[in-house]
Amino acid sequence: MNAPHEPAAVTADELAQRVARWRQAYDAAVPAAEPVRNRSGIELKPLYTALDWAGPSHPEDSGVPGEFPFTRGIYPSMYRGRSWSQRQLVGLGVPEDYNERARELLALGASALSFLPCNSVFRGYDADEVPAALLGTCGTVVNHARDMERAMAGVPIGDISTALNDPAPFTLLAFQLAVARRRGVPWSQIAGTSNQSDCLSHFVANHMFFRIALPGARRIVVDQIAFANEHLPRWNPLSIVGQHMQQAGATPAQAMAFTLASGIQYAEDCLARGMDPDRFLPRFTFFFDISISLFEEVAKFRAGRRIWARLCRERFGAKDPRSWRFKFHGQTSGVDLTRQQPLNNIARVTVQAMAGILGGLQSLHTDSYDEVFSTPTAEAARIAVATQNILREEAQLTEIIDPLGGSWYVESLTDAMERQILEHIDRIDAAGGMGAAAQQGLVQRWIGDSALAFQKRVDSGQQTIVGVNAYRVDEDPASYPSLAYPDATRMQAYLADLAAYKAQRSAAAVAQALDGLAAAAQSTDRNIFAAVVSAAEAGATHGEICATLRRELGFGQPLTVV
Amino acid sequence: MHERPPKVIVTKIGLDGHDRGSRVVAATLRDAGMEVIYTPPWQAVASVVKLAMEEDADVIGISSLATDHLIVPDLMAALREAGLADVRVIVGGIVPAADEAALLAAGVARVFHPGADFDDIVDTVRRLARERAHGATA
Amino acid sequence: MDSAADTLATILAGDRRRIARAITALENGSAQAPALRAALAAHTGRAHVVGVTGPPGGGKSTLVSALIKSLRAQGRTVAVVAVDPSSPYTGGAVLGDRIRMGEHQGDPGVFIRSLASRGHLGGLSRAAADVIDVFDAAGYDTVITETVGAGQSEVEITQVADTRLVVCPPGLGDDVQAIKAGLLEIADAFVVSKADLSDAARTEADLHAMLALRRRQDPLPPVFRTQATTGEGVAALADWLCARSARGTRLGSAEDRRARAVVRRAIAADAYARHLGLTLVEAGRGHATVQMTVGPEHLNFNGGCHGGAIFSLADTALGMACNAEGEVAVLIDGHISITVAAAPGSVLLARAEPVTHTRRLGVYRVVISRADNGAHIASLNATVYRTGKPLQFAAV
Repeated sequence: MNAPHEPAAVTADELAQRVARWRQAYDAAVPAAEPVRNRSGIELKPLYTALDWAGPSHPEDSGVPGEFPFTRGIYPSMYRGRSWSQRQLVGLGVPEDYNERARELLALGASALSFLPCNSVFRGYDADEVPAALLGTCGTVVNHARDMERAMAGVPIGDISTALNDPAPFTLLAFQLAVARRRGVPWSQIAGTSNQSDCLSHFVANHMFFRIALPGARRIVVDQIAFANEHLPRWNPLSIVGQHMQQAGATPAQAMAFTLASGIQYAEDCLARGMDPDRFLPRFTFFFDISISLFEEVAKFRAGRRIWARLCRERFGAKDPRSWRFKFHGQTSGVDLTRQQPLNNIARVTVQAMAGILGGLQSLHTDSYDEVFSTPTAEAARIAVATQNILREEAQLTEIIDPLGGSWYVESLTDAMERQILEHIDRIDAAGGMGAAAQQGLVQRWIGDSALAFQKRVDSGQQTIVGVNAYRVDEDPASYPSLAYPDATRMQAYLADLAAYKAQRSAAAVAQALDGLAAAAQSTDRNIFAAVVSAAEAGATHGEICATLRRELGFGQPLTVV
Repeated sequence: MHERPPKVIVTKIGLDGHDRGSRVVAATLRDAGMEVIYTPPWQAVASVVKLAMEEDADVIGISSLATDHLIVPDLMAALREAGLADVRVIVGGIVPAADEAALLAAGVARVFHPGADFDDIVDTVRRLARERAHGATA
Repeated sequence: MDSAADTLATILAGDRRRIARAITALENGSAQAPALRAALAAHTGRAHVVGVTGPPGGGKSTLVSALIKSLRAQGRTVAVVAVDPSSPYTGGAVLGDRIRMGEHQGDPGVFIRSLASRGHLGGLSRAAADVIDVFDAAGYDTVITETVGAGQSEVEITQVADTRLVVCPPGLGDDVQAIKAGLLEIADAFVVSKADLSDAARTEADLHAMLALRRRQDPLPPVFRTQATTGEGVAALADWLCARSARGTRLGSAEDRRARAVVRRAIAADAYARHLGLTLVEAGRGHATVQMTVGPEHLNFNGGCHGGAIFSLADTALGMACNAEGEVAVLIDGHISITVAAAPGSVLLARAEPVTHTRRLGVYRVVISRADNGAHIASLNATVYRTGKPLQFAAV
């Protein structure tokens, strides 16, 4: 009877000999070539063995999830305990349009909603301040608390979690709180995240969201964190964003490094305010881009968890283990998607989603295949959600916690990514921190250089993009899905409604609230966000609030470096 | 006579703020020996016109995502009104096929789509700048 | 193609599009350029030319932008020549300076023109001088030149200015020494930018100390502190600038201003002066001061400053002073007396003053002294012949 034999312990010498034998056979089969590198520039060998990784280097790394430094996962149970939340971005047109989509998603079982406002809102303007042709094409127009009430009609805001794409001064959150107050929902029940609260990432990478000059914006972020820590126990006021930087061209290692450096900056800003790290750190969350470089992304997230845990414990002095947890939302990367042969993007998104899941994210957004063109069609959005369900239910990706842990490749790659990330962080520290580095244009230059280098690799053919520089087919541009424009009559009606709203509310109450807001901005000790909430409740519009703060704190002009 | 290198403005009008593509284009044009003025996003049409006038620009490159291309015809009209009809305009980004025809009809010289060949962009800009220099009146 | 006279007319009328095209024609050295230059010359000398320079990262563009706002508030029209470096390899450039002055993009009283530092025929300062003259003739009250980065061009450009501002970021520390040799000596004022940073006060103190040591002049140039994003300190700087050009402290009468404009152009066009690294400190009708830092290229076999370099310095100051009237004057007889050897590395100032003149002859005295301690080095007594011919700068 054949019995499985016990594995014999292999000595390092014996293993080295085996690997040498393999190398000879490999070299005979494969001609010598340039080293293969991943996006962060780390060399990828054809084979990894126990010689490449013999165990965790950090003495405290227990190698189990839920324990410092959390390399294998921030919770002991990970997805067996609770799946990642599916949080798909939604936003188009007028508040009623959003409401329709939101209710559909809730009916399908979603427990979390995301709110994407119109570009005009991102820029800090009311709908009547920008060319009408540009309204509502990429998100929903919401200019005041009553609009928010309409957008959330019939939505149990006290029970579900809402992610608001809402940069400083966080007017959307203020409108949400006004709605809650009117409905009698206690603020302590309002759950969600202020996505796009990271003004540093907006300053260096995605200028879409940058509204107010950096020093003022940073102050408002800390004000909001303080407010949330006190009044909104279920709200994550800070989402530190790596997505913008990676989409702008930063390599995965750079994106993680710059994001952690931003996290350091915000933590230090809070500490300088005298806030307790065990109070604010548990509500810091992260948001990352997930590229198609599967293993690199997994290693990036594992390294990120480890580094952040150490920073929280050692650099910021947090004592509660809950403060050390690196919680993050991931979104599959739109820049990997192509306009050519768009259905190919479904395959790309699948690999990206896998990278995020295997990397241990807490919530995931999968792009639709037509994301390149505009806001996704309903069918494409369904496929994006189905992709997540398939990975979870059919591929059983969630049954094992950190399944790539222990892989010699992934572990040594995690270590290599960690080293590179720490080098970048050191460089930023040397420049005086992320705030200083951003104002000097250093981070922008690094990102721009990486973007240019990537483009050169694509142009030279070194990096193949299927359908773009290889495997091309003739395509009829007319067959591409066209942009979804919002209904012009509905938008006109909205604008008329906005005018009526402005005429009907109490001009005195609004003026007084805006004066209070300006006074808070001029002071050094009053909470600006609290004043924003008061202004929202008094009926001030988004554009009025932003204009007041821009006047006091300066118009946000990002520093662009080519 | 020593001809100056092409002077190109790379800019974004409208509300979108993504500028990775335009940054890479600006760097590429610079590396090709051109003088590039690279602006932050959300430039008002009037500002772009003033910029083109003061710098005596040869070509304006508009980077457009979302629906920003819808206001490019406004820019073309403003340029004509300011006496700058000879300044060439190109657009790069996400532009649906139907809208591309409208842009060309409005006077845009060329529309580039994602995945466009960068050599093509550089050659086009050079050619357009040369056309303007030779056709320009004092 | 329009004649120079037609182009001039459109510039004088303030036609912005034609101003821009004229600048391009001068940049390119078009066939029209020499005639245009000559035509412009008679209409220059009114603008207050302010040169802003300093180490990179000093916040110059932000300061200039804030300064523009203050000057506009005082009713002055402003033109800016923003100089950016070109790549020596590709010749291309990203002209990023003016972008930082974005808040003025709607103001018709502000005209900003970028200038790449590329191989300009005749040198960068010559090209800048051309642009300044166009703006001057077009009637802009203040013309600001802004040079970015380190390099000889920084010093070159500033020498064409009436008022030179050197902008220093805090934390310069020992790098106050690093302020390009020559800038410290010719600056009319220093600005410590980003005054909100903790080492701003320290940098200000360092500058005061350095000035007291290295410059013997009464009064010493002021040191301003500004925080351009809040506007703190900028109004005071703007007031000081406006007072200078209104009172004409160093600029004197209209004739002085015109003389100054001519001398600016002259020294920019003087290949030999550039070769020796001579820079203009000040000039007016009949007088001029030129500066030279004794460098390795000026030394003789003994390791001391070559007498010919001393003579050249004196002669250049003389040339600037007597040609400032706008007509050509040539040296016919000069006697130099060198009493003290000039040490390598020292900064020398040559001041030329008129002694007397007849219709055809001019007698001048030039005194060369050390900039730091005023020690007398040499003097030149010279007689020049005034030809009566108008000044014509060398064609490209």
